[in-house]
Amino acid sequence: MAVWLLIMLALPLAAAAAGVVLGDRPAMGWLSVASAVASFAAALVVVFGYDAVRGRHALGSVFFLDGLSGVFLIAVAFVYAVVAVYSAGYLLPGIGHIRLRRWYWPLLNLFGLALLVTPVMANLGVLWVAVELTTVVSALLVTSEGSDESLEAGWKYIVIGSAGLAVGLLGIVLIYAAGVPSLGDHYTPTYTTLVHAGPHLNGTLVRTGFAFVLVGFGTKVGLVPMHAWLPDAHSEGPSPISAMLSGALLAAALYAVLRFGAIAQVAVGPSYVHVLLLVFGALSLVVAALFTLRQTNYKRLLAYSSIEHMGIVSLGIGIGGPIAAYGAFFHVLVHAAAKTLAFFGAGEVLSRYETRDAEEVRGVIRVAPFAGVMVLLGALAITGVPPFGIFRSELLIVTGGFSQSRYALAGLLIVFANVAFVGVYQVFHRMVLSPGEATAGDRTHVGRPEQPLMAVAMVISLIVVLVLGLWIPSPLNRLLHGAATVIGGRL
Amino acid sequence: MPVAPHYDVAHATAAIIAILALLSGLSLLLVKQVHEQVRVYAVQSVFAAGYTLLVGIDRVDAALIVLAVWTALIKVIVIPVSIDRAVTRQVSEHEVPLVVQVPMSLLIGVTLAGLAYWSGSALPIHGALLPMPALGMPLSLVLVGFFFMITRQNVISQIVGLLTLENGVFLATVAIAPGLPFAIGFLLLLDLLPAVVFYGVFARLIAARAKTTNIEDMAVLRG
Repeated sequence: MAVWLLIMLALPLAAAAAGVVLGDRPAMGWLSVASAVASFAAALVVVFGYDAVRGRHALGSVFFLDGLSGVFLIAVAFVYAVVAVYSAGYLLPGIGHIRLRRWYWPLLNLFGLALLVTPVMANLGVLWVAVELTTVVSALLVTSEGSDESLEAGWKYIVIGSAGLAVGLLGIVLIYAAGVPSLGDHYTPTYTTLVHAGPHLNGTLVRTGFAFVLVGFGTKVGLVPMHAWLPDAHSEGPSPISAMLSGALLAAALYAVLRFGAIAQVAVGPSYVHVLLLVFGALSLVVAALFTLRQTNYKRLLAYSSIEHMGIVSLGIGIGGPIAAYGAFFHVLVHAAAKTLAFFGAGEVLSRYETRDAEEVRGVIRVAPFAGVMVLLGALAITGVPPFGIFRSELLIVTGGFSQSRYALAGLLIVFANVAFVGVYQVFHRMVLSPGEATAGDRTHVGRPEQPLMAVAMVISLIVVLVLGLWIPSPLNRLLHGAATVIGGRL
Repeated sequence: MPVAPHYDVAHATAAIIAILALLSGLSLLLVKQVHEQVRVYAVQSVFAAGYTLLVGIDRVDAALIVLAVWTALIKVIVIPVSIDRAVTRQVSEHEVPLVVQVPMSLLIGVTLAGLAYWSGSALPIHGALLPMPALGMPLSLVLVGFFFMITRQNVISQIVGLLTLENGVFLATVAIAPGLPFAIGFLLLLDLLPAVVFYGVFARLIAARAKTTNIEDMAVLRG
């Protein structure tokens, strides 16, 4: 397993190094695509080929994989792969408006590397370093269109994100200190060490530490009220980067929260962890769903949708019990696929109409039928319309809520998922299907032919979110059960 | 008959360093000039390195002593000098616009420090050499750093606020988890360097566009 893990991590590192030399030459795009797709394949081998569900260390105790890390590793590796494919098309002349072209590929591959490292590190301090690295790299990618707005968004992101992570680090220190009485002054803070010492950890310090971790890493997840950076960064960054932020970065940060939550659960019991996740999850769901009703910037709209979905995942774990937890982890996977599709579609519209204002975009289906269909399907997928995967995951969480007698929370999810549906779908419906002339963009761009690589990336995301809505392969089913066992409970 | 706690030179020195570190954090709230803010941060980092050195000597821990030297090198010299060179010389205007004026800032800062000591006393934890509550001073720096970031509309000031916050977290680590493996402490500091470089890149971009590092006009994105 260690060899495959090293291959998975070495490929994006090598691609980033090559990018420094090759810059934005076309070969660099193909090299990055090959690297990202091969990394995804290696991740699949690591997770499914070595029975990661059982919880395994690799390369001594450098790496650790279990059901929880497996789910998040698959999600980030998938997003990195499809974003690389989409970017190879988006960076071609006349399509995406990226000024920082020279550094796009090295930064994207480094971003991919940091995201892949996060769920597999056994040492929780190194996990923090990996998440911090994602901030530094992705903040520059957010500014790569070179506009004043993107600069403002990048600055907000790096300052708020770094401050949040500093708080998260304080939480890690407190949890480390909670183990000193039983584990001694000098011990390596790995997940397994802390879980085995769980009942002997100092409960007050674990509670305080987890609260700091939740607020700190929760800032990167975009949980309300620490979400201020997210709508700006998602809306002003280039669309493939928005997809990476939404589908992979938020998931990686959420992984960190849940990993510490699993430790806290053993030390102080599950109810404390669940209550905190419920509070932040419910708040994020409600606030983000309401904000979708007043957005006219369609990328910003998708950003609020990301906050809503992170709220749903937190709510699913917070409800407790195996069914809701299973649904929440499944939601992480289908959200990754659906949100990449939605942001890729938004990128198509932006490159044609050159505006983020939904009111200036009309009749996409007539001028670019393929893009129009993809944009609309992306909006339907992300809002949880059947038969897409998000419908299935939300149904599982609601079922889990009923099975745990959490009727109010299940009701809350049903109501505000529908509010978000109205908010998101009405905007994309008008953009794609409403008659009328576009007031932005010139006809050359609006009617340009489909870019094959961008189309392939969208079709792949569509197939994944559609197939998962209809069928969950048995190895994936087992992985999701394994994740639910780590934090949630056994079936 | 209650026994008086044992205090030696190391404890007394640590207590003095803690007070000076807290005062350096509060004194940030007094200065309006960007250069001076960077210098106050450097002084504050001297105390962070000094406390780490003291704990290292007291525990006869070579790793902590190396970490102290490394901290001094990075936070007292490299970061302040690079921030100074990267940005502040590019712009003519160095006075920072304040959302909250100095007297009120100081009052809020002192209140935050009191809050930090009060909440720190709720945690059952002893700090290396520090008087109880061990987390009082580090948490004060965290809160003051946050407050400074929020109320100073200048990119350099916000970086200084962030670094102050990070100093608070660093001091908390040394105080309550001095055994946290050296490799992690080293990694964290190493991690700080590229972060500061990237902050510098941002700050230069902003300064190049607006000819100032003040960001009071930078509020296009809302809602």
